[in-house]
Amino acid sequence: MSNADVPVVVGERKWVNHALGFAAWVTGLIFFFPVFWMVLNSFKTEQDANTAPKINFTPTLDRYDDVTKSASGLLSFGEAFTNSAVIVLISTLIVLTLAIPAAYALAIRPVHKWRDVLFFFISTKFLPVVASILPIWILAKNLNLLNSRNALIILYTGINLPLAIWMLRSFFSEIPRELIEAAEIDGASLKGQLTSIILPMAAPGIAATALLCVIFAWNEFFYAVQLNPVKGSTVPIWVTTNISTRGDFLAKLSAASVLACIPVVLAGWIAQKRMIRGLAMGAIK
Amino acid sequence: MSTTIRPEITPSIQPKVTRFQLSESWRRRLPLLPALLIMIVLTQVPFVMSIYYSFTDWKVVPPGPRNWVGLDNYDFLLHDHFFKDATVTSLQLTVFPVLGAILLGLGFALLLDRKFFGQGLVRTLLITPFLLMPVVVGLVWKNQMFHGLYGVLNWVIEKLGGTPVDWVSRHPTTSIIIVLIWQWTPFMMLIMLAGLQSQPADVLEAAKVDGAKPWAIFRQLTLGHLRPYMELGVLLGTIYLLQVYDQIAVMTGGGPGSTNVPYFVFQRSIGGGWEFGQASSFSIVVVIASIIIATFSLRVLSGLLKGEEIA
Amino acid sequence: MTVVKYDEATRTYEGTDVAAVDSLNLDIGDGELLVLVGPSGSGKSTALRMLAGLEPLDGGTIYIGDRDVSNVRPRDRDIAMVFQNYALYPQLSVAENMGFALKQQGVPKEERISRVRETARILDLTPYLDRKPKHLSGGQRQRVAMGRAIVRQPAVYLMDEPLSNLDAKLRVQTRTEVVELQNRLGVTTVYVTHDQVEAMTMGDRVAVLKDGVLQQVDAPGTLYHEPENLFVAGFIGSPAMNLVDVGDASPLKIGDSSLTFHGPGASAVGNGAGRITVGFRPEALRVVNDGPLEAHIRTVEDLGPEVYVHVAIDHQSESLPLVSKMPPPFEGNPGDSVRLQIIGATHVFRGDGSRVASTTANLS
Repeated sequence: MSNADVPVVVGERKWVNHALGFAAWVTGLIFFFPVFWMVLNSFKTEQDANTAPKINFTPTLDRYDDVTKSASGLLSFGEAFTNSAVIVLISTLIVLTLAIPAAYALAIRPVHKWRDVLFFFISTKFLPVVASILPIWILAKNLNLLNSRNALIILYTGINLPLAIWMLRSFFSEIPRELIEAAEIDGASLKGQLTSIILPMAAPGIAATALLCVIFAWNEFFYAVQLNPVKGSTVPIWVTTNISTRGDFLAKLSAASVLACIPVVLAGWIAQKRMIRGLAMGAIK
Repeated sequence: MSTTIRPEITPSIQPKVTRFQLSESWRRRLPLLPALLIMIVLTQVPFVMSIYYSFTDWKVVPPGPRNWVGLDNYDFLLHDHFFKDATVTSLQLTVFPVLGAILLGLGFALLLDRKFFGQGLVRTLLITPFLLMPVVVGLVWKNQMFHGLYGVLNWVIEKLGGTPVDWVSRHPTTSIIIVLIWQWTPFMMLIMLAGLQSQPADVLEAAKVDGAKPWAIFRQLTLGHLRPYMELGVLLGTIYLLQVYDQIAVMTGGGPGSTNVPYFVFQRSIGGGWEFGQASSFSIVVVIASIIIATFSLRVLSGLLKGEEIA
Repeated sequence: MTVVKYDEATRTYEGTDVAAVDSLNLDIGDGELLVLVGPSGSGKSTALRMLAGLEPLDGGTIYIGDRDVSNVRPRDRDIAMVFQNYALYPQLSVAENMGFALKQQGVPKEERISRVRETARILDLTPYLDRKPKHLSGGQRQRVAMGRAIVRQPAVYLMDEPLSNLDAKLRVQTRTEVVELQNRLGVTTVYVTHDQVEAMTMGDRVAVLKDGVLQQVDAPGTLYHEPENLFVAGFIGSPAMNLVDVGDASPLKIGDSSLTFHGPGASAVGNGAGRITVGFRPEALRVVNDGPLEAHIRTVEDLGPEVYVHVAIDHQSESLPLVSKMPPPFEGNPGDSVRLQIIGATHVFRGDGSRVASTTANLS
């Protein structure tokens, strides 16, 4: 509970409330402005976009046309989108499949040294991605995984697994002990407990975790560009191909950016409340 | 009830008890093993390989032999002023964005932590930067906001009577810091919001009844309550921001003032330097530094893992 | 002199039709300990919070002294409050908790320290002054919560079920201490509880609330002996008063026995009152050898100084449970047949629950 739940505060001057609400709106609009301007630019001609900022222009969908048509030899939006979608979905599924049992082993029937294990998982994020790229690149080359989707699927699983375990563990630890114990007495195995009690109760948490994994995997650039520059390239790489050294490109870049970001932004907007609850609980407990 | 059997009378029962206990302990570990094994393979193998390479003089292009050179790379690194610059830049690109994002995030969270018209919509607007692709953010800010001639920022500056600035070229560090703050503020805001909303309502009411004005409540009660949340924000933010790469790559492509250690490692290795041996030593140094930071922050983690205090 | 006045005070929550507190009228005098009691949902806590300024008023007014405080912020009302879960400031020490309000008022440090020390002495908290709340037991926290209120010298103390989180024995002990303290300090106190025993033992006057409406406000003895309506009659007193629907035909009957009234008020019973309910407390129902009313024993509760005999009679073709309070020793076992008589105060209630009369009555 917080100030946000109290509709009327006794004795508070109404104008203070209105002023703060107004300030919040102004802050939100200013902070959001670069995004708004990017979307606006995506509907302009290059001429309109590459001048001093202006609002009067004739909107057009041509830039979207430009960026989505495929040219032979160049990475097309369709190809990049498909690659990204497959890689992100599969790696997230794998993450959940691995993280749910792991979280069970850390929260519900904990192993003895669960705190140490949890710390180990977090510590894997201390090794900078950039540092691990050399051995990974060599391994990928030797295993013939360069320029394939599989390399990224594996790597994104590794990136997101610690986060997923951290969050799911704390969601699972919120499930009342009595429910688990009752299920055990009723003879339910791990699988039974999971399906009948744990998954339904932790469903919002699992959704929030999945969403965060999707966000990080979809937006990941470094591994993608190092390992899959030619084939299996993902959307972030595709976005960077929309810059040009000859001629203006801002409007096209804006259109490409909008297309690249829409899936995750929409998902984030819709699942906002869950994500907040997820971050709050998952991170703090 | 049936008669009980005392273990010391029937020793044949005891070994069975021991076996059962072992089995129980391993049964608890079993669900953990797949995740654990995969993480170990994915992270420790490259790590060990890196350590090994860091003791060699391996150059990949043009292909050369991999000779053991002991601590030569580390010695070189201590004297390499490019590495020193990269370290300074790394600190700048971590400390300032973390601080900036936390301060802004706290401010936004305070604004959002009340009921007003369209509160949900404002919150939606404020979290968006965090959802965007880092490469998109870098490119959009570089070409749209920071642009020397057509940039929005310069347009505003001119309207206010100042002279336009070529942000990215002349102030690369500041530009990247601004972008990182913009992208990470929502994350901190969410953590702060979680902290604000987890304050027990009756404690706040007690403070009101006790005569405390809103600012006094914030300073004397709320800030103390938010401490673990701020520490969490610092911890997570530092972990992620130490490794920033995307925005640097698309905004400046390296260059003085914007090359942090990860980007530096990249430059010296697969980014064109192809000195795998040397670059590995840089990576190891980063890992050691991260572990130091992590152990230092360990007390934060154990504080968090213990759970919050109840009054 | 009235220190607190509720004048048609009303509070209706958004999205609901029924008022949580409905046109409450209550005058509380100087130095009085007034208890607000009722079941959950009765509005007692809401009424207290309205006085604190933590709930707004949707109608009516609230006065503290001569001031209309209906729109005044909590911090400007000169009140101190003890919360049910104590609401201690987690990061502050006991001393800082108790001195918090004084600090907000700008009281100089030395005075603050001495006042806190004095209050801590009264409450036996001196050894704990430097501890944080999380290192205190429940009872200690409760005292800190009280101390936080007492160290100020406000116009009114507000207490929201301050004892309900203590274990039973500590609760009884602390009850007496609170009353003593309040008498000594002489500050007007509004006290909320759901426990009618607590209400009866502590209050100078007790206000009974049900569904947001004030049922009756009187001294405990008056509530006990002269309940204004069915709800108060059944709520106050433990075990509860025996309530029997005796129909509306004359003669009124309990089981097979006729009920006749004597004494003052007997004549008030007449037509037009609807279905009559009579009530008589356990001590007014006796097991006697040749009583007119047949019953069988369900259970016998031997508490030591008194024995509660739970019986059942056949009344209006159903089994009706009743309780009789008998002095020890009592010879009787579950299943035994016994005979009952009413000896003592009997209350008569109309069909709408209001009281018609209190008188003596007999069965025959």
